[in-house]
Amino acid sequence: MSSAAIIAETSSPVPLLELRGISKEFPGVKALDDVSFAVFPGEVHMLLGENGAGKSSLMKVLCGAYRTDAGEFHYKGEQVAINSAADAQKLGIAVIFQEFSLVPHLDIAQNIFLGREPKGRIPGTIDRRKILADAARVLGTIGFEIDPATIVDKLGVAQQQMVEIAKAISQNARILVMDEPTAALSDRETELLFALIARLKADGVSIVYISHRMAEVFALGDRITVLRDGRRIDGVRPADVTPDQLVRMMVGRNVDMTYPRNFADKPGEVLLEVKGLSASTGISDINIEVRRGEIVGLCGLVGSGRSEVARAIFGADPVSSGEIIFDGKAISGEPDLAARRGIALIPESRKSEGLALLRSVGDNLVVSALRKLFPSGLFDQRRAQRTSDGLIRQLRIATPGARQTVGLLSGGNQQKVVIGKWLAAGSKLFIFDEPTRGIDIGAKSEIFALIDRLVAEGAAALMISSEQVEICHVCDRAYVMREGRIAGHLARNELTEENIVRLGMHHA
Amino acid sequence: MREAAVVSQSNPLQRIPGVAIVLVLLIAVFGAIAPGFLSVANLSNVLVQSTILTMLALPMTLIIMTEGLDLSMGAVLTLTSLCVAIVSLATKSMLLGLGAGLLVGAAFGTVNGWLVAILGIPPFVATLGTLGMAQGLSLIVSDGQSVVGIPHSVRDIYSATLLGVPVPIVMALASYAAFHGLLYHTRFGTYIFALGGNREALRYAGLSPNRLLIAVYAIGGAMAGIAGLLMTARMNSGHPTAGLGLEFDAIAAVAVGGTSFERGNGWLLGTVLGVLSVGVLRNGLNLISLPSSVQVASVGVLVIVALFLDGIRSRA
Repeated sequence: MSSAAIIAETSSPVPLLELRGISKEFPGVKALDDVSFAVFPGEVHMLLGENGAGKSSLMKVLCGAYRTDAGEFHYKGEQVAINSAADAQKLGIAVIFQEFSLVPHLDIAQNIFLGREPKGRIPGTIDRRKILADAARVLGTIGFEIDPATIVDKLGVAQQQMVEIAKAISQNARILVMDEPTAALSDRETELLFALIARLKADGVSIVYISHRMAEVFALGDRITVLRDGRRIDGVRPADVTPDQLVRMMVGRNVDMTYPRNFADKPGEVLLEVKGLSASTGISDINIEVRRGEIVGLCGLVGSGRSEVARAIFGADPVSSGEIIFDGKAISGEPDLAARRGIALIPESRKSEGLALLRSVGDNLVVSALRKLFPSGLFDQRRAQRTSDGLIRQLRIATPGARQTVGLLSGGNQQKVVIGKWLAAGSKLFIFDEPTRGIDIGAKSEIFALIDRLVAEGAAALMISSEQVEICHVCDRAYVMREGRIAGHLARNELTEENIVRLGMHHA
Repeated sequence: MREAAVVSQSNPLQRIPGVAIVLVLLIAVFGAIAPGFLSVANLSNVLVQSTILTMLALPMTLIIMTEGLDLSMGAVLTLTSLCVAIVSLATKSMLLGLGAGLLVGAAFGTVNGWLVAILGIPPFVATLGTLGMAQGLSLIVSDGQSVVGIPHSVRDIYSATLLGVPVPIVMALASYAAFHGLLYHTRFGTYIFALGGNREALRYAGLSPNRLLIAVYAIGGAMAGIAGLLMTARMNSGHPTAGLGLEFDAIAAVAVGGTSFERGNGWLLGTVLGVLSVGVLRNGLNLISLPSSVQVASVGVLVIVALFLDGIRSRA
């Protein structure tokens, strides 16, 4: 759709900000490809797309963090440049990041005016009375009633978000970019945020709103722009589309990925059975079954409770009710126990949770198997060496040797080391949390081949992934989560991206 | 759940007991077992002897708030103390001596800040390096000997009084007032909270975290310079091991006082109470004739006990 067509759609003739033909390329990836996008005064513009569609890149372009390779910016009809955060700020663009830019042990007023404190009488001092009064006024304009002298660290997530918004408003922001602002909010807090958004709109502030929740898209959006693979797919009004149509726009059909997988015709005995599992981390009534020889997907949006389910099964978070039966016996309690019984958790952040980055490949490979390899409690260098050499060969880990520091390996090989470490410990169930994050495409298919071999030899895998394509190609079947519950189960023949997105998003 | 977490979080005032309990307990115990501990002369002695540590612990609080550390402070104090002694001996001027100490201290502090901020060397390692440099320079300028015969004008600083209050205490109180004003009432102080709490926020606000960080370390060095004058006055000489291990007591006092080593949460008054706790402990152990080796060990125990108390209280 051309920009002229966009303008014709709306009552206001001149966009506040218009992006024309924006492109941004990184080595090997076109993050943004000829994206055009217009924001009109006082509208909520929804930005929709799957993970990796280009939403974050577009946001970074808007706030001046990325320089574009091609394209133009027009502010109120005049061409402008956004090359730095200062440029963006001058145009009144403010981004409310998911990770806040607040200082925890300063009060609200000091945070709102950080770097712009009103000067006191003595040089270098702050006019305390004025900063509090100014803060109270800004907080008043967004309808947030709180003492501006409250230390930010004592506020909840929703209140911190309010402070962040107040900070932006105090800088005369006319365009607020919000990245999944309701992700960490309760229902009541979400209502308050929506009320605030309505108020800001009435004041003529425009909001670019990134969301995964269909309900929000239709409740708040004046317009919707859908991105996919760095390209703008369409710009529509909520009244003109159905959720199903939006899902189809987001998913597209240009999938040509194949991963090696020998699907088991007859899965083996039940290895893991989860019955009515609930935990204080926000998951409830989870029922899951994983059989030997299977790769079972666990999908849903980020924040839907997938990782929490994994952590609960592994015993990393306390369970409030329900049962976990592994290999015929009920288990409960601690990661140590789960690991000894044969459950391996391969976390998403392998650098911080899965590996000792500064230690050698060999050390990392044997660390989970120490009890098994050295029952006497004495470390046997030669036995450790034999074990790690065997694993390096078996998993085809590309390393000069067992002595190599793990941090120097590529992402894919680091992931293999994590898998190898659990293999050495004799694990039977592998829980993968985003196993291909940060791994290049070639290494991905190697990792999947490895997982395929593991399950073919009688193990089982539960795989959490945001990459729906991967789930569809690799998994025997999948559970889809939404807001802490299992929203549905998809058998092999129902396993499509569209079904996953539909189950994960509807009625959110 | 989130609301509950908010309520249970301690504010700085709720922390007063943590270190105050320790201080009161120490005073009570030594009052009972150490003869003469509660005498006015001894208590005033504790206060005067705590002044040098106060002047190191105050800037150490700011440095730790930036998620940093300055291990070189004791050694830099030794060097500045020697500079005060040598320059005042040569010029017969207390002020020139103080000036020399200040200059050398600030120079070391600036180097520390530069190593940490610009070169990105972890504070522990950077200041361990300058600790060695300051120690070596101390041996060079003193030739390993005490510097004696310094002018009365220097020595008298330690014994003089102002309106009946010993001058070292006046200096420590003035330092506290200055640091309090700096941390809680100036823009620079606001930015110190941000240096440890969220450095990105400073960048978004168009401020340079590096320059601020260098300034914080430079202030630490300058304070070691002023404390060097007190040290020289107290010993009536310059001595190449005068400040040995003082950084340990300073860091201990800051920790005991409830300043967090993460996320930029500091509390200056707590640091002063921490300094007094260390002072009372050392003085009391002295009175009951325990060797200084035991004192060092007990300061270590003090840190652990105080942090343990804070820990169980914040969980309760």
